Amino acid sequence: MPTVTVNGKRVNAPEGATILEAARLAGIEIPTLCWYPKLPVVGNCRICVVSVEGQPKLLPACATKVSDGMTIATESEEAVEARREVLRLLLERYPADHLRNGGRAQPRNEFERYVVQYGVEPTPVAERDLSLREGDERPGDPMIRHDMSLCILCTRCVRACEDIQVVGVLDVAYRGEHAQIIVGNDGDPDKAACTWCGECVRVCPTGAIFEVLPRERFGEHPVRSDRVVRSVCPYCGVGCQVDLHVRDNEVVRVTSPDILLDTPNQGSTCVKGRFGYDFVQHRDRLTRPLIRKGWVKREGRWVWEGPTGELRRSGPWRTIAGEGVELKPPAPPRATGKRLRDLPLLERVTQDIRDRAATPAEWYEPFREATWEEALDLVASELARIHRERGPGAMAVFQSAKCSNEENYLLQRLFRARFGTNNVDHCTRLCHSTSVSAMQAALNTAAASGSMREIEEACDVIFIAGANTTETHPVFGAAIKRAHKRGAFLIVADPRKIELARRADIHLQMQPGTDVALFNAMLNHILACGLENQEFIAKRTKNFEAVRRAVQPYTPERAEAITGVPAALIREAAERYARGPNTTTLWAMGLTQHLTGHDMVTALLNLILATGMIGRWGAAMMPVRGQNNVQGASDMGAIPFVYPDYQPVSDPKIREKFARVWGVDPESMSLEPGLKVTEMAREDSPIRALYIMGENPIISDPDIAHAEAWFATLEFLAVQDLFLTETARYADVVLPGASFAEKTGTYVNTERRIQIAHKAIEPPGEARADWEIIVDLSNRLGLPTPFKSPEEVMEEIRKVAPAWAGVTYRRLEGAGLQYPVPTEDHPGTPFLFADRFPTEDGKATFHPVEYSDPAELPDEEYPFVMNTGRQLYHWHTGTMTRRSRGLDAREPLAVVEIHPEDAEELGVTEGDPVRITSRRGTIVTSVRISDRVARRQVFVPFHFREAAANLLTSPVLEPHAKMAELKVCAVRIEKVPVEAAV
Amino acid sequence: MGYPHPPHPKETVVLSQYFGDPEARTYEGWKKRGGYTALEQALSMAPGEIIEIVKESGLRGRGGAGFPTGLKWSFMPKEKTKPHYLCCNADESEPGTFKDREIMRWTPHALIEGCAIAQYAIQAEVTYIYIRGEFTEPLAIMQQALEEAYRHGILGKDAMGKKGLRLDMYIHRGAGAYICGEETALMNSIEGRRGNPRIKPPFPAAYGVFGMPTTINNVETLAAVPHIINRGAAWYKSLSLSSPKSTGTKLFSVCGHVRKPGNYEVTMGFPLGELIYDLCGGMREGRKLKACIPGGSSVPILNREETESCLLDYEGCIEKGTMLGSGGVIVFDDSADMVYQIMRLARFYAHESCAQCTQCREGTAWTVRILQRILAGEGEMKDLDLLLELAEQMTGKTICVLSDSCAAPVVSGIKKFRDEFEAYIKGARRPVTALA
Ligand SMILES: Cc1cc2nc3c(=O)[nH]c(=O)nc-3n(C[C@H](O)[C@H](O)[C@H](O)COP(=O)(O)O)c2cc1C
Ligand code: SF4
Ligand code: SF4
Ligand code: FES
Repeated sequence: MPTVTVNGKRVNAPEGATILEAARLAGIEIPTLCWYPKLPVVGNCRICVVSVEGQPKLLPACATKVSDGMTIATESEEAVEARREVLRLLLERYPADHLRNGGRAQPRNEFERYVVQYGVEPTPVAERDLSLREGDERPGDPMIRHDMSLCILCTRCVRACEDIQVVGVLDVAYRGEHAQIIVGNDGDPDKAACTWCGECVRVCPTGAIFEVLPRERFGEHPVRSDRVVRSVCPYCGVGCQVDLHVRDNEVVRVTSPDILLDTPNQGSTCVKGRFGYDFVQHRDRLTRPLIRKGWVKREGRWVWEGPTGELRRSGPWRTIAGEGVELKPPAPPRATGKRLRDLPLLERVTQDIRDRAATPAEWYEPFREATWEEALDLVASELARIHRERGPGAMAVFQSAKCSNEENYLLQRLFRARFGTNNVDHCTRLCHSTSVSAMQAALNTAAASGSMREIEEACDVIFIAGANTTETHPVFGAAIKRAHKRGAFLIVADPRKIELARRADIHLQMQPGTDVALFNAMLNHILACGLENQEFIAKRTKNFEAVRRAVQPYTPERAEAITGVPAALIREAAERYARGPNTTTLWAMGLTQHLTGHDMVTALLNLILATGMIGRWGAAMMPVRGQNNVQGASDMGAIPFVYPDYQPVSDPKIREKFARVWGVDPESMSLEPGLKVTEMAREDSPIRALYIMGENPIISDPDIAHAEAWFATLEFLAVQDLFLTETARYADVVLPGASFAEKTGTYVNTERRIQIAHKAIEPPGEARADWEIIVDLSNRLGLPTPFKSPEEVMEEIRKVAPAWAGVTYRRLEGAGLQYPVPTEDHPGTPFLFADRFPTEDGKATFHPVEYSDPAELPDEEYPFVMNTGRQLYHWHTGTMTRRSRGLDAREPLAVVEIHPEDAEELGVTEGDPVRITSRRGTIVTSVRISDRVARRQVFVPFHFREAAANLLTSPVLEPHAKMAELKVCAVRIEKVPVEAAV
Repeated sequence: MGYPHPPHPKETVVLSQYFGDPEARTYEGWKKRGGYTALEQALSMAPGEIIEIVKESGLRGRGGAGFPTGLKWSFMPKEKTKPHYLCCNADESEPGTFKDREIMRWTPHALIEGCAIAQYAIQAEVTYIYIRGEFTEPLAIMQQALEEAYRHGILGKDAMGKKGLRLDMYIHRGAGAYICGEETALMNSIEGRRGNPRIKPPFPAAYGVFGMPTTINNVETLAAVPHIINRGAAWYKSLSLSSPKSTGTKLFSVCGHVRKPGNYEVTMGFPLGELIYDLCGGMREGRKLKACIPGGSSVPILNREETESCLLDYEGCIEKGTMLGSGGVIVFDDSADMVYQIMRLARFYAHESCAQCTQCREGTAWTVRILQRILAGEGEMKDLDLLLELAEQMTGKTICVLSDSCAAPVVSGIKKFRDEFEAYIKGARRPVTALA
């Protein structure tokens, strides 16, 4: 370890440390401009120069490694002079008149702070020899814009884009004084594959690249905030930590915190995290409880006096199916150009999207505003009545993967303890339920075994099956791209040519739904080559022989016939996978949302176990979780067959334990596993009263037409949400909840990391934090629920969930904790299963699986296979993202992705309307031509109410987890005649 | 040989022996002139032995910095764990320098042979010859020669008939950026990146092309290697007229106000005055020598007295406060306007700056503007101080030395020809407004 002296202080610096790092260890700051944490060091600004004894030249501190015995002076006369000159040279090209007259200037950014600190006096702009810098400007961009006169060419933005996000939109063009930052070849970020992540905004030290803020767009005044509050992004399962900047009870900007901290995102976010927060203050937010007109209280009892039968839940709207078949208006014009002057009609694109994707005014008509007292009273008395009259089996709750752990815990507690029902579920059913069932059968676990950062740090081979990570988990996707860039071998199994597939070393582009055959064949070949990990199989698993026999017939050739993937490619992938040395396996909805989802995941687990690619740093099993808290909601028991922490409801001893903590008679709680979401919304379902917190099943569940009809038949429906959603419009009572920014709570990301989000602002109007609503309701219903804060709820969770026993709010500050955290001094668990699995004998079990066809194969009548999924800019049913100005401006239209040759055959071009029909329904949507999809396959995102993909999907259920087959259905596509469009 | 002029008796003709002889270009012609015997011999030695011979010869880099070549080769890892590369720097873009061009034009096989020996010595599997984009004729000739060399088994699989030895050589064409002659920018350029110099350390021997151990040498350096192998280190070392640290012959590209501009090959330590007055035929009729830049445009300017007493080797130039550089000798007679000439030089660097470093990007451009202002008669005395201040900041503080190169002529020019600057400032000279 080299020992160096910095300004007279001796420090021991780690091997390979730079002068900058050593100085920081000594508590000495050296100014930097081009240097930035995690970016490659380029040492170009030269502001960090220092004097080193025995060296004739000044050395850049950021780029010079220390050697033993070095004596460094950071503030030598020479160094300070050189630094001032660097600032002076930069100022010669910078609009700096406001910084004149010395120390009294108000610095506006990192660069200006140095100018003021070093007291450099800029030349008045009018008297200069050099002109202001130029560069591409992104005029009209809905989220990111440039003022390149502020650019000091530190190239942080270029490196952030290239080396952190691995996109490469920005670059330096030209030489000498003409050097400038450009956006792609022609200034069009779209063509340059920009993802609008805003990494460039984050790193720019001058604000030359800045975000268009929802309030002060392009205003004169820099956005100032009163407070900064640490929170967690409300979108995907990566769980990026974000800082909410607050002014006047509004979130005015989102940034990402100190990236040296070991957070999942280390300072990055994707476009949604950085720009998609304005839904919070959208005018559609519900501010008072709503009660369906027709409910009146007579003599202390609530009675329904409105229409009955068909009209009981009707309103002045068309059904989703009705909207689906309509022609859609065209997209607003897209603004592009290199320079502001290319775009005289800048304001053309400022049209207010609130009038397009917002809640239609007439949806409110069937409701009247109510007080909380009235609304909660109605909910409590109706739930109690139906429970009393029809029994626990008639009660059900849909919990929310968007709500906190505490809220999910409280809600299942209410339904289990007060109503004695296990009809408790949430959207995990349509997400990773098949993963959970398969992982539980094989390893008795329900979460990822490893951490996201091990992919970047330690893994040699990355195998991704059915996960479009760069769009659905962009920050994690970037980490995968970084791993690939540093040399990890990337294998992608996906029917679509998604971004990662294009980058992959091997792309296994199989027919949708044929994964079992593919994985079995890979294992077949691994065994044929003797590449299995025999020691692991012998010591850590059982029932291997059954799988060996089962995969025997799945030769790569046979798999080629089924999957369409060349046998040679299957062989190569298999060998690479097995050779590792450290292979990490990732998967997501592309596997799970199939009729055979459980089998697909099982086949993949067989591959993992046979090669022993689990339980080491770098060899992880990673189901990539969708929602920001789908892991947490599951952990909190929002699943029909388990209590919190996956303790089975059927175990009387466990029931006893929970009953004691919840203060109810154990006998009043059910030992029967409850119904799953997909089993509830059917004609023969026993459910009569349904409580929904923060979910929108009418858009997200398969075969919408049926689901919508079913919801209308309920006896009582209460919905707790931010907006009057497509589902909420059928409710009897709508309770206005709080967004992530308006409450404190904890969330679990895809790597089991529990993180805390703090309340930043007050909810709008009378809206209340969701936990408060449930606490209030529970107490009204007579279930003792004494919590005064989410922290108190966590204290109870710790008592009942062994894996969470060591979790306290205080410990969650910072990077959070990865459970299991069995005690208060346990540091958390970055990866699991180093030496045993959580089964009785510590071993994992192999389960043989056979391939079978998807439920619906294309035929003459329905010749296309339709796949559904997400887009980068939208989230699920669009409730949040379609109310976010920037995001919706990027993807304003419902589309279907279709292969260029298919489009040609159909005689359609980009933007043309087409009609898509399946055995269940029809939508009209517009064409996006893309070779991401293979021939005869189409992709329809499910975010759009006006062309809801789930009108077409099939409700057939997977037998283990009752997952719906959302990824495969047969459809027909027809051109809509243009006359019809006008 | 002072190509295109007949050889002068004071020259020591080694590298330039076949300049002007079209037959030497072909494989057969080259073989007839003793070509590829050095390679044959080298391949019978151990790589380490070759490096020792080159070290012993005292050969130093002819690309500008004059780094001892054998020592550079010895920095390559002895234990091979990664691929090794050799780069031949044929980007010759330094104003005033045109010697590599002639080597490639007339004796392409000499360069290929030199590269092959070096490649073997540093155990590289591949050589990249990075040729300046504007060199269309040398490029065509090199391509032709390379094809011949492959065809005749000099290169490729089982090179020179040695079983298992594989020598590959590729030509990479530059695209018109001076900065790509800087060794690490050249490597970036080969990799397909923007030609920005990299920060050093790590040096190329540790982290070069594609992050692999790499040696880079100038064309002239490599072309000298076969002669050293053939005739021995002692012979080469004996070619030295002044400092024993500068050995061998050197090609000087002389241009400017002399009667016979051209490439002259002389022994290290040859007097600059003799080169100009004897070999190049002296100044034009009625003109007197005013100044000279002896090492390509990047080195400080010498005045007449300094020029006439300068010995042309690494040490001799340093003694006069300048550098031998690449050996591009630019001669000015008394008709030259030094302020204008210096502005032209500065403008070249400002145009070629890769624009990474603050001092270089802004400093070179600002320097040009100030000089133009002075030329236009709008300068002030304090501008000279500003120029010197800028030059101070541009020296020794940047990633590569392009910035220093811009400062060098400015500082030496103001020091030695201050009166010309002051004449413009004081209005004693007619302003130059049309700046060609
Ligand atoms: C701005 C700049 C331009 C350069 N251009 C060339 C060039 O055109 N040709 C060359 O051989 N060396 C050039 N060099 C020197 C190279 O960086 C390097 O020192 C040389 O190729 C090493 O070879 P040598 O040791 O054989 O001289 C340049 C250096 C700088 C800083
Ligand atoms: S735009 Fe900002 S980050 Fe990019 S080079 Fe300029 S100053 Fe640096
Ligand atoms: S000194 Fe100039 S040319 Fe060299 S790296 Fe810096 S900016 Fe580029
Ligand atoms: S911070 Fe070190 S050179 Fe820019």
